[in-house]
Amino acid sequence: MKRLQIGIENTKLANGLDVVIAPDSTAPVVTVGVYYKIGFRLEPQGRSGFAHLFEHMMFQGSANAPKMQHIKLVNSSGGMLNGSTSYDVTNYYEAVPSNALERILWLEADRMRALKVDDENLKNQRDVVKEEVRVNVMNQPYGGFPWLDMPPVAFRNWANAHNFYGDFADLDAADLRDVQAFFKSYYVPNNAVLLLLGDVKAEEGIALAGKYFGEIPAGPPPPFADPSEPEQKEERRGHVEEKFGTLPAMAIGYTIPPRRTTDWCAMALLDQALQGGRAGRIHRELVLEKQIAVEAGGGIDDLFGYNGPTQMTTRILHKPEYSSEATLEAFDHVIRDVRENGISSDELEQLKVKWRSDYYATLEGGRGGYMPKYGLMHLLACFTLFDNEPQLVNTILDGFLAVTRDEIEAAARKYLRNEKRAIVFRTPVKASAKEAA
Amino acid sequence: MATRTVEVATGIPALAAERAVTWPKRTKARLSNGLEVILAEAHSIPKFHGELFFRSGNAAAAHRSPGLAEMTATVARTGTTKRASRQIEEDLRRIGADLSSGAGADTSAISFAGLSEFAEPLLGLVDELAREASFPEGEFERERRQKLEEVKLERTDPGFLASERLRKVLFGVHPYGQVSPSEEQVAAYKREDLQAVYREFYTPENGILLLVGDFDAQEMLKTAENVFGEWAGKKPDPKPTAAPANPRGRRVYLVHVPGAVQTQIVAGCHAITRKHPDWMKLGLTNSLYGGAFNSRLVMNIREDKGYTYSPRSGVNALRQHGFFSVSAAVRNDVVAASLAEIFYEMDRLRSVPVPVPELADAQNYLSGVFSMGLATQDGLLSQLSVVALNELPDNYLETYRQRVRALTPEDLLATARKYLDSANMQIVLVGDRSQIEEQAALFGELEIYDARGARLR
Repeated sequence: MKRLQIGIENTKLANGLDVVIAPDSTAPVVTVGVYYKIGFRLEPQGRSGFAHLFEHMMFQGSANAPKMQHIKLVNSSGGMLNGSTSYDVTNYYEAVPSNALERILWLEADRMRALKVDDENLKNQRDVVKEEVRVNVMNQPYGGFPWLDMPPVAFRNWANAHNFYGDFADLDAADLRDVQAFFKSYYVPNNAVLLLLGDVKAEEGIALAGKYFGEIPAGPPPPFADPSEPEQKEERRGHVEEKFGTLPAMAIGYTIPPRRTTDWCAMALLDQALQGGRAGRIHRELVLEKQIAVEAGGGIDDLFGYNGPTQMTTRILHKPEYSSEATLEAFDHVIRDVRENGISSDELEQLKVKWRSDYYATLEGGRGGYMPKYGLMHLLACFTLFDNEPQLVNTILDGFLAVTRDEIEAAARKYLRNEKRAIVFRTPVKASAKEAA
Repeated sequence: MATRTVEVATGIPALAAERAVTWPKRTKARLSNGLEVILAEAHSIPKFHGELFFRSGNAAAAHRSPGLAEMTATVARTGTTKRASRQIEEDLRRIGADLSSGAGADTSAISFAGLSEFAEPLLGLVDELAREASFPEGEFERERRQKLEEVKLERTDPGFLASERLRKVLFGVHPYGQVSPSEEQVAAYKREDLQAVYREFYTPENGILLLVGDFDAQEMLKTAENVFGEWAGKKPDPKPTAAPANPRGRRVYLVHVPGAVQTQIVAGCHAITRKHPDWMKLGLTNSLYGGAFNSRLVMNIREDKGYTYSPRSGVNALRQHGFFSVSAAVRNDVVAASLAEIFYEMDRLRSVPVPVPELADAQNYLSGVFSMGLATQDGLLSQLSVVALNELPDNYLETYRQRVRALTPEDLLATARKYLDSANMQIVLVGDRSQIEEQAALFGELEIYDARGARLR
């Protein structure tokens, strides 16, 4: 078995900014990321969707790089850029030919130091974000299902349960004072990590990080609300109308164990057993064998990238001739089997090989398919911000490869319980008359 | 048109000297059975990625039934003379591999990735799927019923409805004119038809095997010979199809989706294939127009006006023909305003030469992004696939940068005049008729359809 070892250097600047460098001179390309430890989970109450709207504002202009210049400078240097907002982090990243490294560091430092935006920018990006929500959610069959439908059913703490893309009234209510206050609270070097991956030497990267980011003043420690959930003691159910789609759908979510525990590693392999593609038990039984569902699958979204309550979810689109209850019963049959019988040692061995293979694929490509080393960047950032240990990228695999059959069975019994889950039914408006539950 | 003064950044660090881009050496061979093999080493992770392409896809099977090559590829992975479906899926997991099969207009493909330590068993399974698929009756029936639900479901997706209508408008009865089969066509699929397509398309003479990853190329070539050497089969006869006429005069096709809260716009026209001498010029013109974040259209209708989240344009190459398209999902009250800007930016490229600094920025962008294909195994695989499938010169990757940099404002002006003609663009709008019909009618003669394709007006 060939193990991948990634060379990593890291340091912390005097202002608290973490710097992580993973040199690799194979291609003359460098990926730069800046991660801030704030996502939509802990955005201000009354301002749903604000963390994401704010992410858009970070492209609207900073002290020395006015509107349109950020995008123009990256593209015209031969690079790509983007940003994204998730539960507990917001990231900004660029992949560029390595001769543009200093320019990118200058740009990222400029917007960490001082955001310079006006009302017109805010109105413009509010409009853009509304079209983003329409194209991804409101005008799409099964839009936002289940990632937006599940939280209000599953969780009780506003932090975990609100609309992360934002109610339009909340987006409309956001003003420039909110923008600057959010920036001042969370976009400080002591709440961020800078990542350099690819064609850069470690000592060079550390020197450049100091040169461009070293003078940015630290801020007070950012305020973080408590995201913990009261203990769940009953199954929760919710219903949402499906406006365009023709098939009845449901999503089932089980709250998973805290990260970096033995149960968490076992749960991740259990997730692979249940929904690892076409070999996964849920797809096999519901789609291939019983042929009740057209689509059945899911998983733990971004296993390494969250820092609060989360779920393993399964999304099922089923044939209209099967009722919701019959479909759920077929799903429960799969869950009961693994709770009662666990998995075989042969299956566990298969899962571990696939897990290792998938982990390497994550490091190289990850969620941002077109960005070299996006996955490695994401993991290094999360291991730094949540665990203060970027080297975990080389060791975290061990915990998963050590999981035993007993641990898997124990995790199944402990976490795959009806009183630990939530179910959302998404029912087509047109077909709802036929749907006999 | 931009209403905002564009300010410039101050104090930007200059670019350092450009580092040379060295594309990895490719090992090319033709096995004695005619299978073309192309290998490249890339040692970033202990895995490899591969594609087994066949140079025939849905277009070559269209005389039997639309979408038949796709269905053939889907069922081919569900059973062989040696392994049942469940065995195939578990064996893949056992060696840490992913595999998918599918067909586009011009090719069928088995795509795979796995750990280098298990290269031989993975290639063995690929060979088995390409040679000995058994098309089990039960699996065929299941996939056919599954496909029936899928073709119903895709009619609820505005993006699908837009691209489907555009292809019909641009290519008519040519096989490229139908992107997906109808329910009736799927219901009429027969297992024997799939087997006939399989026998005809899945042959070594019709194939290209591409492998990129963490291996020694010479050893991998031996492995490929051992695994695929026994396979035999001829190239299928080409089936010539009459060239579709390029639609003249601008027309508007509205696909009515009651209750839509946004309108999906797409406009397009015939363009060129990948082998055409103008390909690079049109690619660069597109990049300036709407092919990059920093492009004129994105800056105009997103960053200036806030009409849309994700406007983009692209040149789409098919083997026999190509087409240009521009798309944006916009709010219902700015459909006409968005179209006006879409055509304004086109006309501007045809009227005024691109300023040299803007051209240089776009040249940097294209050559930089192209070189990123080097950095990942699947990125490199996709670049090599384009070269191989389109029979481009061997030094295509190495000369790309200099060919992009050689283009001038005059080249782009001539290219825009030749290909981007707003007076002949075909417009498709997917949205709620009651909200957008009047705006639609401003841009040309209007036809209205429902989501199932029936003409309403």
